Formats: sequence, structure tokens, C-alpha cells
Amino acid sequence: MSQVNMSQVKEIPVTQVKTEQEKPAASGATLIVGVGLAIAFLLFMAFLNVVKSGNVLNEANLLFAALIFYAGAGALYLGFGVTGTESYVKFASLATWGGLLANTGAVAHRWYEAGHPPFASVYEMLLSFVWTLAVLTLIAEKKYGVKVIGTVTMPVAIVGVVLMQLLRTEVHPLVPALQSTWLHVHVTLAMLAYAACALSFALAMMFLIQDQMETSTFLAVTSASTVAIYASIVLTRFERWGGLSLIAWDPERKAEIFISKGVRLFVTVPDLGWLMLLTLLVVAAPLVLYGMSFWKKDGSFLGIANRAVFISILLQTITLLAFLARAREGSYPSLDVDGLYATSLTASPFILSALVGGIFISLLYLLLLWRRLDLERLMPNADALDRITYKTICIAFPLLTLMIAAGAYWANQTWGSYWNWDPKETWAAITWLVYAGYLHMRITRGWRGRRAAYFAILGFGVVMFTFFGVTYLLPGLHAYA
Amino acid sequence: MAIRSNTASSTPARKSLARKIWQTAAAVKTGVVLLILVVIFAAAGTIILQRPMTEPDDMQRAYSPQALHFLDATGLTDVFHAWWFLGLMVLVSLCIIAASIERFPNAWRFYSRPYKYPDANFRRALHPQKSLAIADEESGLVAAERAFHAMGLKPERVVREDHFSIFTERHRVSEMAVYIVHASLLLIFFGWIVDGVFGWRGTLNLNEGQTSNLVELRDGGTRAMPFSLRCDAAGQENYKDGTPKKWWSKLVVVEGGQDVVKKEIVVNDPLIHNGVRFYQSSYGPNGKVDKLVIAATPNPAVKTANAPAAIPGSAAIKDIAFTVGDTVDLDADTTLQFAEFIPDYAVRDGQVYKKSNELSSPAAHLIETSKASGKSFDVWFPPLEEVADNSKAPWLLDPKDLKMGHFTGLQVSHEPGQWCVWSGVVLLGVGLAFVFYVVHMRFWAVPVRDERTGLYSLWIGGTANRNRDAFEQKFDRLIETIEKELKPISPITESERIATVGTR
Repeated sequence: MSQVNMSQVKEIPVTQVKTEQEKPAASGATLIVGVGLAIAFLLFMAFLNVVKSGNVLNEANLLFAALIFYAGAGALYLGFGVTGTESYVKFASLATWGGLLANTGAVAHRWYEAGHPPFASVYEMLLSFVWTLAVLTLIAEKKYGVKVIGTVTMPVAIVGVVLMQLLRTEVHPLVPALQSTWLHVHVTLAMLAYAACALSFALAMMFLIQDQMETSTFLAVTSASTVAIYASIVLTRFERWGGLSLIAWDPERKAEIFISKGVRLFVTVPDLGWLMLLTLLVVAAPLVLYGMSFWKKDGSFLGIANRAVFISILLQTITLLAFLARAREGSYPSLDVDGLYATSLTASPFILSALVGGIFISLLYLLLLWRRLDLERLMPNADALDRITYKTICIAFPLLTLMIAAGAYWANQTWGSYWNWDPKETWAAITWLVYAGYLHMRITRGWRGRRAAYFAILGFGVVMFTFFGVTYLLPGLHAYA
Repeated sequence: MAIRSNTASSTPARKSLARKIWQTAAAVKTGVVLLILVVIFAAAGTIILQRPMTEPDDMQRAYSPQALHFLDATGLTDVFHAWWFLGLMVLVSLCIIAASIERFPNAWRFYSRPYKYPDANFRRALHPQKSLAIADEESGLVAAERAFHAMGLKPERVVREDHFSIFTERHRVSEMAVYIVHASLLLIFFGWIVDGVFGWRGTLNLNEGQTSNLVELRDGGTRAMPFSLRCDAAGQENYKDGTPKKWWSKLVVVEGGQDVVKKEIVVNDPLIHNGVRFYQSSYGPNGKVDKLVIAATPNPAVKTANAPAAIPGSAAIKDIAFTVGDTVDLDADTTLQFAEFIPDYAVRDGQVYKKSNELSSPAAHLIETSKASGKSFDVWFPPLEEVADNSKAPWLLDPKDLKMGHFTGLQVSHEPGQWCVWSGVVLLGVGLAFVFYVVHMRFWAVPVRDERTGLYSLWIGGTANRNRDAFEQKFDRLIETIEKELKPISPITESERIATVGTR
């Protein structure tokens, strides 16, 4: 089974990049046939694997199918970006439906197998989150006519499914504190609210495009994001002699290895550190060039910067492949303890999703660079996007409020206090305050357009930190998710 | 502003200062700045390690002594219980109150005295609006009234000098919703502050059979409750894979020596007595022996040398169950004492040490004493050759069973303000529902006579306080209905209608 997992992880970026590298002049049919064949081929391979294991409709297979469809949808959206063929969007929407169908099957299977709705661990919550996101994407597409919203939401869905493949998938029985109806209420509300926030983020990005924000500003933002990704990897994981330290993984126990309480064992994968450093320098190049064009008021730097983005995507892909090849399995020495220890992709889900995410961010920039006019044609006008963003937040905010209230009620029943200032609670409150700030600025101060869009983007950033950052960076009572 | 300070009779400077403070407090900017401060400090509270959740050792490992001293002195190691954080929350509350009071009179005027007759300026500026040709005032008014009725609205005829107009509205309360939201937030803050001042939280660990009224508070102190709590039994049920599924405790409230309340609690289902709530939070071995069962047989090797075991009737095998500190008679002369239990032992230089409190390698120390000679023999389980020779004791002992005692861990809390908090939460939900989903819509219909041509037209206008797109569709449907109502009454040709619609 792990064989399947790994191959699909590799597959997404490869297909995406392939479509991206095709010349903009490529005829429309080629890509549809290509992506269709790729989906069919992957499904067929998966089917062969499945037949061997004898269990066709299990959750991992359904999830794999969902991943293939979402990746196909993402590829088509990006392909639309490259070639400007509108029929791609239709097929992308179809692929999204296919992905949603498989995803629904996976959710149902999980629910049936676990005997409780899939909300009890990070894995299960991601499953529900991706499902909600796909549903909302289709709603935004059909009801509000935001046809290309999948360009932003599908990559998020893909990263979510990839993460899921890496996180533990065994069904865990509920510990006593989680056996409450309020848990389901709380988490359902959280997933709905977070998916609505993700949608408002995507809409705000589209608003910025429709609002004639300079393409070069997007260049600065996207390269700054990729620089942040590689800088944080290099700063925290770069080891002596160009190694990259990764968390050691015990394949038999399927768990991280601890030296002592709370101290993880790290292994050093040689040479990967240099590669990360090199990639950092290359992804920083567009940002530096942007800075130079900004200070010297010379537009010619931007042309070079755009080429640098293209090169950085190639190098990012190479880095990702090298990371996959080396971190997937194999034993490496550790600086702290003698001997060789194994590592696994499962031990580094966040590095992997950061690498995949970095490629997507850069690809989205290229999409904008090459196909801005087509994108603009397919989106509602700026005013409408601004209003839909606001409406989405009007849905998200009451949901956030109810989520916090349900969580407080549950905590009151379980821990004897409705508010413990646990990091998760605190950050949920911070999220709530940020969106409350958005609403006040909009309603009483009449903030519209750009400023409101920035606020919506900031809000989603805080949501992401509350969802992932708090779970993995800050310790607390809320250890389940 | 200047006029006001001139008319004020006493100390204009002081008055304007007070007014300035008031206006600052009521400003949206102040509120935003305060909220940003709350966000920054709350975020700091999640990143800086907090007492008392973090062990002091870990704190010292994480920060240098100077840094730790600074953090402790500023309260940053316990942000959410620091006086300044509470102060900040009070300031936020005051700001909400000030802002609400400042804006309320206007809103109330709007709410209590609805604007029923639109004047010419208002009619010119309003969007959406429409003018329809009508034969005379009455036919237009009747058509509009019918259309409003069809929409489920109650039209009201407004008398203005010499003519009528129509006003109708729905969900006026929506204009007040934002005050409901702010009031509910204040209720929540108030309840939370009441809990902070009068409430307390702690833990109470009870061994099975134990009674206690002392709660260990989270700040390290203890609190004596006016009643005691006894745990009759406690237990744990597991899933097949060994992870805990359920913890339960049978609790009894004892007041004045009497059992008052009995309840079996589980996680998520607390016992509540006199406003104090007891939650099941953990369960585990307390490291103490509940029962040690041993079989004792007279030692044949010792019997030949010594008299005591020769006493008739004592030769039988005895099963003895006792716990630490208990002493039982083995025969008329020999007593057996359960002297000591070590959960995790180590032997060094003929001495037995306790390594830790974890139940990993337990050892039991028993002492056989002869009353006559005062001579005693140490017996250890497991047999420790370096420390004592079990085979030299007058009775040979054989351990059969060891049952460890368990404790049930209870969270105890007294939160007198929580009802305030919950009513605030409910009100908040209602308020937000009104803010976002209940639209205050108003319609006016005014018959207007064109001075130049002498023809009548019906001016219809409407407005909604939110969701304007949907409202405009609704307005278009209303116009359609009115047009339909007008048709049988006003036999005007299509060309005339277009001509009159164009004029305002």
C-alpha cells in the first residue's frame, strides 16, 4: 500500500509541471487527452493494485481516486491558464465532481468503519475539510459563476489529500473526553467555518486580480512566500556538511523515535541541505529582481524575474523529487546517537506539503502572468467578487462563533471550565477577533475593495495557523487535533 | 463643538477634556487598537510557556534566568491571569459600552420613529425606485396596497397635508441587532469576570473508599468545601486495543455525617452540588497496595529448631490478605507485618532503594516477629538474596495476588458566573442571526401629480439595510405585481406609459 501512496505523491507535481512546461501554443485537445489518459492510467494502475489486495472500495483507494481527480482538475485549471482554452474549465469542473464523489465515498467509509463522524483526529478533520472545500468550490462555480475558483482551491485540496496520505490512518477509538455529541457539533461547525474562510481567501485573491493589481505585486508576494518556505526549512533543518535533518521514524511501530521525553531523534540526510540552500537562493532571485526594478524604476528587471520564476519552478521540482527519493526510505546517521536510523515521508508531512505548496504558488503566478486576460474574462467583476467575499465571511463568522460556543460548552462538560486559554482556544478567539475586525471596518468604516481583501487574506492565514500551526507548534490540551 | 463649550456655564476646559475622553473611548479606532493589543498578548500567551501548566524545571530549561525573571515580573508567564490582561478586557468592555451609548440614541430614533413619508430630496436620491403611470391617486394607492399584501407586508396609509401615501416595512428589529450582539458580549465578559473573582478551580484525587473535602487549587493552595465527597468505587473500561474507553466513579456527597447525594459520574457527565461541579478527569493506580494475598506455611527447617510452630493447629496453610501497615497473627507467638511497599526498587550494598513512583518493579517488605523472643525476620518479595534470606523465617510465605489501589481524578470547579456566560452566548447567536440574516426593508409608495401635464404617477421606492442585490430583485418583482394590479383599472396605452415613466 505504501508503494501506491508514494507513487501518487510523486505524480501530482510531475503532471502539473508537465502541463506547465508545454508551450503556450499547444493545442487544446492535447492537454485534455493527456490529462484524461493520465487519470485513466493512474486509475487503472490503482485498480490493478487494488485487485491484488482484494478490497476494491476501501478508504485508501477512494482517497487515492479523489487525489487523482483533484490533481486532474488542478492540471486542467492550470492547463486552461497556459492555453486559454475555456473547455478545460468545464472538464476541470467534471474532474472536481469525480473527486468529490470519491471523497464522499472515503468519508462515508471512514464514518462506517469508525462508527463516529470523521472528526476525531487531524487526518479525519482534513478528510472532512477537503470534502467541504470541494463542495463549496462547486457551489461558488455554479451559483456565483466564479468558474476559475478551482485554480486556487484545488491545489489546497491536493495538498490536503497528500497530507492525509502521510498522517496516520488507523481508526482510533475515541478517548473518553471525545465521546460527546458536542464534539460532532463543534467540529462540523469548525470545518464549515474553515472551508468558508478558505473560499473567502480564494475570492479575495481573485478580487485583487480583477481589481487591476499589478502582476508584479503578485510576483513579489508569491516569491516572498516561497522564500519564506525555503528559508524556514534551511534555518531549522540545515545541518553541518550540507545535510538536512529529518525526524527519525520507526517503521515497525509507525511512530516517531524519541530520545527522551519530548525530544525527537533527528537523522541527517546528506546533501539535501545544500540542495535546499541552492533552491532558497534561486527562489529569492525573483524577489531581489523585483526589488531592483522597484528601486531603480526599471521594468526590464521584471522580465528577468519572470524567467527566474520559471527556473525556480524547475529547481523546486528537482528538490521535491530529490526529497521524495531520499526521505521516502533509507537509513541515515544521527548527530546525537550512534548508528543508522530510518526515516519516512510520514515523519515530515509539513516539509513535503511546504515543498508541494511552494511549487503551486509559483505555478499560480505563472498562470496569472500568462493568462491574466482570460482569467479576468471568466470571473465576475471586481464589485461582485468584493460582495461575494463579504457574503462568504458573513457565513463564516456566525459559524466561527457557534463553533467556539459549542467548543466552550463541551470543554465545560469535560474539563470543568468553559475557557481554559489553551492555545487552540486562544487562537480560535484570535481568528474570531480578526474577522470581527473585518466586519467592523467594512460596516462602520465602509472598507471596501483592496483593504477588505487584504483583511480576508489575513483572516485565512490566521485560520491556517489555528488549524495546523497550533496543533504542531504549540502544546496544549487540544492534543487530538 | 465651539458653540457647545460657549454655552456650557461651568469650566469649559474640564468639560471638553471629559468629552474628549468619552469620544476617544467611543471611537472605533480605540476599539480596534485595544483588540489588536488583546490579540498580541493572547498570542504571546500561547507562545511563551505558561505557569502553572509548565513544570518549573522546564521553565528554567527554556529561558535564561534573566529572561525568566523579566517574564515572571511582567506576568508574561501567566498572561491570562495577569492583572493587566484582565484590565485590558475591562477596557474593551468599557469601549464597547461607550461606543454603544454614543451611537444608540441615533439608532433608537431611527427605530422608534420610522421615516414614513419620503420628501422630494429623499425620493430623488433613493435607489431602487420606479414611477408608474396611474389614472388617479386612489387607484394607484389601492394597487400598491394589494401588491404589498401579496408580499406579506402590512401597508400603512400615511396622511400628509392633503394627500395619502403608503409606507410599509419588515424586520425593523434588525436595526437593533448590533446592540444585541454587543450586549451579549458584555454579558459574557461580565460572567467571565465574576468567575475570575468569585470562582475557583482545582483537583480532588480520591482513593476508592476515601472521603475528603479538600480541593487542591490550581494556584497551589487548598480549599475546604462545606461538605465532603466520598468515592465508593471507580473504574476504567478499555477498548480492545487497550486504550481507555470510559472512566467512571461512584461518588457520594456527605454533609453533616449523612449521605446526601449519590451519583455515578463519567467523563462529560459531572456531579453538581451547591454550585460546585465534580468532573471525571482521570483514573489510575495510586501506587498504594489495596490487597496483598499470601499463603503462609510453617517452615519445617525452623520448626525443628524452635518451639513456636509446634503449637497444635498452627501447621495449616494460611491465606492472608492485608495491606501496608497491617499486622496479623500467624500463630500465638509470631506476628506478620506488611512493613513497606516499593513500586520501583533497586538494591545496592544490601539496602533497598526506591527508584521512582512508577509501578514498574514492585517489592514488598514483610516482617515476621516473635513475641516471646522479640526476634524478627525480614521477608522480601521478590526474594532479595543480598538483603534477607526468606527461607530462615519461621513461616514460609508465598505471594498469591497483589491488587493495587486506584484513585479517581476529579476536576472541581465553582463558576457562579457561567449562567451569565451561557445566556450571553445564546443572545450572541440570536444577535448574529439578526445581524446577518434578518433584513430590515422599507417601501414607500407616493402618488405624484406632474405640474406640467397634470398626469398622475405612482412613485415607488425601497431600501434594505443589507443584502442589496437580493433586495433589488425583490423590488423588481414588486413593481411587476403593481403593474399587473394597475392594468384593469388604468386603460393607458403603452406609449403613454413609457412617456410618463420617464418623468419623475
